[in-house]
Amino acid sequence: MTPLQAKEIATLNYTPPEIQKGYTGQTLHVDLSDRTISFKPVTEQMKQVFVGGKGFDLWLLWQAVNPSTRWDDPENAICIGSGPLGGTPAYPGSGKSIVTSLSPTTGSVMDSNVGGYFGPYLKFSGFDALAVTGKASGDIVVFVDGIEGVVKILEMPGLPAEAYDLSNVLTDHFGKGKSKSISVVSTGPGAANTLIGCLNFSWFDSGRGRVRYKQAGRGGIGTVFANKGLRALVARWDSVSMKTNQPDDLDALKLVAKKHAQEIVALDPKQNEMSRVGTTHIVDIMNAYDCLPVHNFQYGNHPQALNLGQETYRRLFDKGFDGCWIGCTVACAHGIKDFVPMTGPYRGKKVFVDGPEYETIAGCGSNLGIFDPFTVTEINFYCDTYGLDTISVGTALAFVMECFETGLINRTHTQGLDLHFGNRIAALECLHQMAAGEGFGAVVGRGIRKMKEIFARDYGADPAVLQDIGMESKGLEFSEYMTKESLAQQGGYGLALKGPQHDEAWLIFLDMVHNFMPTFEQKAEALHWFPMFRTWFGLCGLCKLPWNDIVPEDNKDTREPAKVMKHVEWYAEFFTSVTGRKVSPDDLITMSEAVYNFQRIFNLRMGFGRREHDTLPYRAVGPVTNAEYESRSERYDKQLSEEHGVDISGKSTDEKVALLRTFREARYEKLKDAVYERRGWTKDGIPTLATARRLGIDFPEVIELLESHGIQE
Amino acid sequence: MIKVQRKNLPWKEGMTVASLLEELGDPYPYAVVKIGGKIVCQPDFDITPVPDGSEIFLIPMVAGG
Repeated sequence: MTPLQAKEIATLNYTPPEIQKGYTGQTLHVDLSDRTISFKPVTEQMKQVFVGGKGFDLWLLWQAVNPSTRWDDPENAICIGSGPLGGTPAYPGSGKSIVTSLSPTTGSVMDSNVGGYFGPYLKFSGFDALAVTGKASGDIVVFVDGIEGVVKILEMPGLPAEAYDLSNVLTDHFGKGKSKSISVVSTGPGAANTLIGCLNFSWFDSGRGRVRYKQAGRGGIGTVFANKGLRALVARWDSVSMKTNQPDDLDALKLVAKKHAQEIVALDPKQNEMSRVGTTHIVDIMNAYDCLPVHNFQYGNHPQALNLGQETYRRLFDKGFDGCWIGCTVACAHGIKDFVPMTGPYRGKKVFVDGPEYETIAGCGSNLGIFDPFTVTEINFYCDTYGLDTISVGTALAFVMECFETGLINRTHTQGLDLHFGNRIAALECLHQMAAGEGFGAVVGRGIRKMKEIFARDYGADPAVLQDIGMESKGLEFSEYMTKESLAQQGGYGLALKGPQHDEAWLIFLDMVHNFMPTFEQKAEALHWFPMFRTWFGLCGLCKLPWNDIVPEDNKDTREPAKVMKHVEWYAEFFTSVTGRKVSPDDLITMSEAVYNFQRIFNLRMGFGRREHDTLPYRAVGPVTNAEYESRSERYDKQLSEEHGVDISGKSTDEKVALLRTFREARYEKLKDAVYERRGWTKDGIPTLATARRLGIDFPEVIELLESHGIQE
Repeated sequence: MIKVQRKNLPWKEGMTVASLLEELGDPYPYAVVKIGGKIVCQPDFDITPVPDGSEIFLIPMVAGG
């Protein structure tokens, strides 16, 4: 193979600072337009208010952009940070990075949480967070070498186009014989040709001798990355131990880490077996509870769904350790080796596939009417290889398939693709087109919000129907849970800051199955506490799975089993032991509130962040079509008559669909009122001045912004 | 004999997951149990037999996403 060429555009040598209590005390700034590299100090106020990770990212992004910045403007930044606890090797799930940027599909702030080694390696190299701004032409690689103490902007022509090939050559090139010392952030050709590009974060799997991936998938940050002319960010670091973060109390850290790690080892095999089957067990469970999206979220189960469940993937996953960070005992990042795609550039070749996880299976399987696990695996592989978000690809294709089946679009529009539900080959062909920016795939790759405009304007489709069945909110495609029968999960999606992604509040099971929150007030409380606590993981560089996917055996006997308070207390101990900042479980919520409200205000600054932006397509709230109503007619008839006092005798399905819609839409608005009040927001969904002051985010520009939107004392 | 949460319990002819849970008298609203490594969800508790010799785990599931 021809040696890689690397022309140095800019170089900055530095002495990596000693990490103190989880912080390096500085951030790294790379401007691709000016070709400059600089460092900025992390202030005590930043630590107190923003904590780290997503908090630092948002603060850096706030400073980089202005209210008129668009996603493809040079000043838009891609910010990446881990967090003060990030990079702890023995505490399960402590290797996360959080990425933020202005999104091509929402126009506002996007955040995405991802495994792999980059965030921890970046921190150990001397930087609590990184902000990349500007744009470059050519193939640009930013290399952060914490071992040698140098940051470089490199021009590297001739790099491979597709993601795995790219990460492999860069790992070889920069690893100098020690591949484990390298983590690469990159995307693929599909990111440049769509608005739904993802970022692949790598780690080197020593057991298998190969580069592995996790994805920062949501909101098209991969597209921003490609638009900047970036091919890769590379971090290089040496060995990692419990001491690398220089924790305040190493003994206390070891104690709490051991407790949690050992509990997972003991209980995971008896509970969900995530170390063996990842998140694939959720397929079986969601299908049983009518929550698995089928045919563009019309239905919640399918007799063939178990083809895509844990027993299938248990057989397909390659056995071995699959932690996306060192020493994680959840170790859920499974993959399939020697998979042979039937289409595309890798047709007939053996490849390794990282995944699939639940979201990919539901989005690119059941939601498309595809119940063949090999097709799902192939879509997963090509999404990663092309740098596309599997969730947005799945949800966008599901929308297209329903439009095709119902005649809203036809073969002329799809340029010959027969996009009926279940057509595996057409789905794959459309995916290859998306990546290449060709054919009808180029339209699909723009995401649902833009497709709705195009289908109505150019194809004559009914915009009201498109609005009802196009599963996006705020411009982001829904992740893969059916929310029609769970008001709390409607709030979990509709009130999420970035759009409908379950990483803020996954309440569907607690609401529907356990009935833990029967009243509006309880739902509003849950829609306060859960998003705040899940935000906290993103501030610290942590994965949420160890919190509540494996739970203590006596958890069910506690006062609030949904919160898994024993683990919350351990997390408070974890935070205290590393940072030296003594905190209680309640303090974790307050920390998150500051960042959460700041992000809401950031949305307001970008022209969003009000009540009108917290809307949902009706498909997420109730049955759009008569067929959907009739598939659950017993439930809906009962609701109309018993909950709403409607005499349904003699009423047509059309009439009942319309009546139910009126009640359900009103109920969702009532939920908004309750949640806004609980969060300390106005009826328009804007944090009050008192809330900003209570949380310490009352910076002059924040107060000025709130006042400019009519928020008064 | 069956084993529930690592404790031995007598097996009964015709035992289902639903009847087992009723007999245990545990008020927690279990949504999922695991029998012999297979997941069984609440809608199927009534129709899922518990074979003699089974090992059963009651999963206090609160998460998933």
